[in-house]
Amino acid sequence: MSKYKPKLVCFSCKFSWGYLTDEDALSPEIENWVPLICTGKIDATHMLEAFKAGADGILILGCPEGNCHYQDGNYEARKRVYLVRSLLESFGIEKERIRIELSTDPEGKRIRESVDDMKRKLAKLGPAKKKSEEVTKARGGK
Amino acid sequence: MWKTEATGVLHVEPAARQCLPPCQIKCPINEDIQRTNVLISLLPDDIDLAKEGILQIGNYLYEKNPFFNICGYICGICELECNYLKKGGAIRRRLLKRFLSDVYTEHLKELREFKVVKDKEKVAVIGGGPGGLMCGYHLSRKGYDVTVVEASDRLGGALWLVPEYRLPRDVLQTTVDNLARVGGLDVRYNSRLGTANLTLERLKDEGYQAAFLATGLPYPRVLTFERQSLEGQDLAGVMYGHTYLYEVSHGNIPSDYFKGKRVIVTGGGNVAFDVGRSARRHGAEVTIVALEREDKDHRDGIPADEEEIRGAWEEGIRIIYSRGVRRIIGQNGRFKGIDCPACVSVFDESGFNPKFDCSNCIDLEGDVLVITVGQAPDIALLRKEGLLDEQGRLDVDHLTLQSRKKPWIFIGGDVRRVGFMVEAMGEGLVAAESIDRYLRGVDMKEGRRKDYEAYQIPLRKDYKREPEIPWMPPEDRMHFQMFEKGFTLEEAIEEARRCVTCGPCLSCKACVSIGFQKSLSPVEVDIARCSGCGHCVYVCNYYSARLVSSGGKVVSETDMFRCKSCGMCVVACPSQARSMVGDGTKEKIAAVYSSLV
Amino acid sequence: MGKPKVAICWLGSCGGCDETIVDINEVLLRVAGAVDIVLWPVAMDFKYDSVKRMKNGEIAVSVVSGHVRNSEQEEIAKLLRKKSQLILAFGACACFGGTPGLANLTTKTDILNWVYRDAPTVVNPDGNYPQAAFRVNGEELTLPEFYGRVFPLNAIIDVDYYLPGCPPPPYLVMYALSGMLENKLPARGSTLAPHRALCDSCKRNKSKPDRISIREIKRIHEVEADPDVCFLAQGIICLGPATRDGCGESCMNINIPCRGCFGPVEGVEDSGAKFISTVASILDAESDEEVVRIVSQMIDPVGYLYRFLLPASILQKKG
Repeated sequence: MSKYKPKLVCFSCKFSWGYLTDEDALSPEIENWVPLICTGKIDATHMLEAFKAGADGILILGCPEGNCHYQDGNYEARKRVYLVRSLLESFGIEKERIRIELSTDPEGKRIRESVDDMKRKLAKLGPAKKKSEEVTKARGGK
Repeated sequence: MWKTEATGVLHVEPAARQCLPPCQIKCPINEDIQRTNVLISLLPDDIDLAKEGILQIGNYLYEKNPFFNICGYICGICELECNYLKKGGAIRRRLLKRFLSDVYTEHLKELREFKVVKDKEKVAVIGGGPGGLMCGYHLSRKGYDVTVVEASDRLGGALWLVPEYRLPRDVLQTTVDNLARVGGLDVRYNSRLGTANLTLERLKDEGYQAAFLATGLPYPRVLTFERQSLEGQDLAGVMYGHTYLYEVSHGNIPSDYFKGKRVIVTGGGNVAFDVGRSARRHGAEVTIVALEREDKDHRDGIPADEEEIRGAWEEGIRIIYSRGVRRIIGQNGRFKGIDCPACVSVFDESGFNPKFDCSNCIDLEGDVLVITVGQAPDIALLRKEGLLDEQGRLDVDHLTLQSRKKPWIFIGGDVRRVGFMVEAMGEGLVAAESIDRYLRGVDMKEGRRKDYEAYQIPLRKDYKREPEIPWMPPEDRMHFQMFEKGFTLEEAIEEARRCVTCGPCLSCKACVSIGFQKSLSPVEVDIARCSGCGHCVYVCNYYSARLVSSGGKVVSETDMFRCKSCGMCVVACPSQARSMVGDGTKEKIAAVYSSLV
Repeated sequence: MGKPKVAICWLGSCGGCDETIVDINEVLLRVAGAVDIVLWPVAMDFKYDSVKRMKNGEIAVSVVSGHVRNSEQEEIAKLLRKKSQLILAFGACACFGGTPGLANLTTKTDILNWVYRDAPTVVNPDGNYPQAAFRVNGEELTLPEFYGRVFPLNAIIDVDYYLPGCPPPPYLVMYALSGMLENKLPARGSTLAPHRALCDSCKRNKSKPDRISIREIKRIHEVEADPDVCFLAQGIICLGPATRDGCGESCMNINIPCRGCFGPVEGVEDSGAKFISTVASILDAESDEEVVRIVSQMIDPVGYLYRFLLPASILQKKG
């Protein structure tokens, strides 16, 4: 039985995370990475689809409070995250599986750290799919 | 570290639909304020690493504005129109440029000359001040063979009169010297028009096909009362502010020149305050007497900047408002004092027309009177050259700056209309364009009139206060060093971040230039799906998404001149009726999801 | 040639969908005259056997309401699919799973335990549970097998057309039926209802302010809602913006906010998820604490967002 390795999708905003380092230089280190021009572009649908696709967790790295280049995108992202977390609880997917960090890291060094930290927490929680399947599992081959 | 590409496709387009943020409209040369603010905000916070970025930003600004580093000391007109003014304080653009100047001014020495073949006509620029130099610089870049005819032994014009505690001499000297070098300008010093057979006709004979006259205002105005020149202006102890600043700029005034003296300065403009505060630094006890009143919002309000007034007041200068000078009192050929009636109004419907109440007079005693009531052009020269109309005013087309008397002569800057450095530079730019069109035989007026539409401030949840700028305490300021503390790198980044980029993407493109995205994706609305619910409008901070009536239904549309392609409306739309054309976010996410590691 | 054959069948249904067909009133008589109804368990006395004996594709249209969550429902659905040219998924349960779909948040074991053992009103001293098969007196009695989750119709068989609603309003039923019988139908897989969201025809839409920004989420029973003002502007969650139009605002007209029974707007897969992004845009909350507070006021988000749609949602959909 191989050791469980959580699958984490990481979204980050280009205006606060890693803009001083070439994206191609950072991407080998960060798996399932989607750098965006604003975390406000992350739809609640994207978050649910991540879990459907087999992700065990989502990490969203947005701009610090008051510093969004597009004014309020980071606030919108946070509201959506909290609403989705509240929804996912009913599906048996723990709140801790979606995290949003509003901070800045121009060099991008901390992206890997945040990803690793979240993966450690996810490892303790176990895979996400199984939990939600437990709840919705049917008998009789269905 | 990112690289900003300043050429080709990524260059800012000239204002489409003439929409700009208000700061860029106010700037007489429409500098790319927004784009460079964004770039400054993305600098690394280590000064050595940031240097590369600062040079890139500087190079970009220098292309259009070779005086941008000087703006960082003495301009800031844009701040008067900044949308943030009413929300917590204008963005301190001047200090941002001063910050860039701290690094860039030294770098000017390393700038290489333009590689332009000078295969076009010879053009003369008369006057090596900011207006003339700007014109010459831009014409030279287009391939014209430009000669600057400068009356004195230095370039810079009226900029030399700015006291060093506002504009350090080495910044000015380095800037103008390198401008001439980089711009490939041929400079003839000590060549005053109107002397030694140097006339416009002579220049024409020498092969100059066009000329820009930007000779400025070399003479001080005399003091008058009820349109009569006052007696006593030749007394010992009476001088003109203009002359005084000129001598200071040449280093001819020792630091204790006015020690123990009571100096009275007449005048209410910035120059009067430059004079007063300089005299203070030369040891004087200074009183400034102004016609205008203290309330700057009033039509008769004192024209000097609030910062100057505040500085003067802190330095112990007494300011007397709403008083004129009726008589200069002398004794034994020496100045003794002035007689000051109350000034009840300065301007009326006919313009500058001060009215006095001579029953309310005060006497002011002093040792020195410095008259600083404005400057005047060399009218005799202008008349001799045949450039004036019957009323004795310069006959110039306002739009093209072409002389109506001599079509190959173009006139601009202070000599045409007194203004700030950047206004003269703006006219230099206009003249350069006009001369280019004139010599190419192209229509002079087409497309020149620009009516701009200013944008309002984007909506956001929180607005921040402007940073406090510390000044040296007044008792420590009695010298000619800068007393204002400029931004550190951290402060500059933070202040540049505060800029909320009011203007349209088309006139910015900072994000595209540093590779954050390949292009700005337009937003489309599928009106077959749009239900007019309005949620896109709620989430749009830029007043771009709005509801309109279309065929009896209410649907939403996007004003692409205001849209920032941020994608918020696309996500908020509950019908998925909005999409961003050419935006690859959906595909990027799908690619990651289909191969999760 | 004969009249076209039509079957109207209920699977996991409350009967409301059949009721709405009856509600087309006089038109029904014309319909009944124009077609041959070969199956309508609630109203007519045909047996499944007669359908089994038909040729494949002999039935022109089968109007199927209700969800599938036991083996009998699956069997009937598949039977009708074989014997019909067109299948119309009729009503929210057939289209999306319907309100019973919320049962997908529990397991079969928990459901049976509750119903037959733990509910306060249960008296079941012998602990009798329904079994799929049971021998008594040498014979085997069978019951349909109860599945562990609710399925919308298209998870079990191919569906040609959809008519959502709980129930679909009579006028849409008329359009659907006449369209099917006159062969004037859009592409297969279409939903036979307007494409846009409810806000398009809702009278309250005009009363929306320039910006909606609420600091409290209120539940409909906690306040006296203004009947002329948009619910969202009053802080009451209304799924109108994310729900397909066509119901005639039956709920809005009695001052109840939309609960989403018509499902997502044309082209949207999951209206519940989409609506989260929409509702976030009207919440006036920035700091962590403010967001936590207002989100906690949306009690039972699954119930709000997926009341009729849970089995068709992103996380529950098969495939």
